[in-house]
Amino acid sequence: MGSVVSSAAHTAVPLPAAALAVKILVAGGFGVGKTTLVGAVSEVPPLSTEEVMTAAGVGVDDLEGITGGGTAKVTTTVALDFGRITIDEDVVLYLFGTPGQERFWSMWDDLAVGALGAVVLVDTRRLDSSFGSIDFFERRGVPFVVGVNRFDGLLDHTEEDIRAALDLDPEVPTVLCDVRERASCREVLLALIDHIAARFAAQN
Amino acid sequence: MSADKGRYGHAWDEDAGPLVRPYTLTRGRTRAAHADLTLITLVTTVEPVPDDREAGGLHPEELDILRLCVRPQAVAEVAALVHLPVSVVKILLGDLVNAGRMTARAPLSMAQAPNAELLRKVRDGLGRL
Repeated sequence: MGSVVSSAAHTAVPLPAAALAVKILVAGGFGVGKTTLVGAVSEVPPLSTEEVMTAAGVGVDDLEGITGGGTAKVTTTVALDFGRITIDEDVVLYLFGTPGQERFWSMWDDLAVGALGAVVLVDTRRLDSSFGSIDFFERRGVPFVVGVNRFDGLLDHTEEDIRAALDLDPEVPTVLCDVRERASCREVLLALIDHIAARFAAQN
Repeated sequence: MSADKGRYGHAWDEDAGPLVRPYTLTRGRTRAAHADLTLITLVTTVEPVPDDREAGGLHPEELDILRLCVRPQAVAEVAALVHLPVSVVKILLGDLVNAGRMTARAPLSMAQAPNAELLRKVRDGLGRL
């Protein structure tokens, strides 16, 4: 069957014919464990592809009056890692680990469109590397939870300290987790779904 | 031309090489004819898949895609499995959909279908992990 079938494990779990897809984003700074989380819960080994992202160039607005309009565009290629969880005969959930480099955040509107919500993973040793992700989801109104990944089981700060440092809104849940453990990742995702449901209920 | 420079000699560029061919597949186009394809749009082949002799006008890559999608696959999955950038795969899939060789199913989103039933299903599914 040609060169396509490079992943027998992937094709061994066919999707139901009538499935509809939903997605959750997994964001956070470089090296915080996004791909590990995706791999821990995915029913197939995480897949990787690349996408060309486009965004308005930073700072071009100031020049528009001078150059006579037109929006400068910046394009770059980013790697996307993702996994899949078949929910039931009707619904399949995709988890996308978003690229770690914060400078790409402005390019991710396409990725955020249609997402149920997001998990922002943080490393307590480098909290600042997750500021960009939190800011992104706050600005776009995408519901998210913060997963605090306990590297080597250590947690140097209290949850309150972490929330204060990240300047989280009171309703945004934080969940301590170990992204190597499927059960732990499941709790993070369940917390996200409960958060989305609560927001949805409050709006209706 | 010395052997260690390969058959393309000085013109060969390790970085540029893989980029050239994918857009040759799309005949130079960088936008999909079918604009609604997202990363998680599910695409399914309309059977039968033509065999190699019947596949007049189809690239081998397009035949690969048709074989791969006899069961539904997300656009991102197709891209990962055929080792082409998502932007290129969207163009190929757009052509195949327009030609009636594939169907595309748009994803559910909270904007389209904000409902408690969907959230309950997802929660139950995750709980079974």
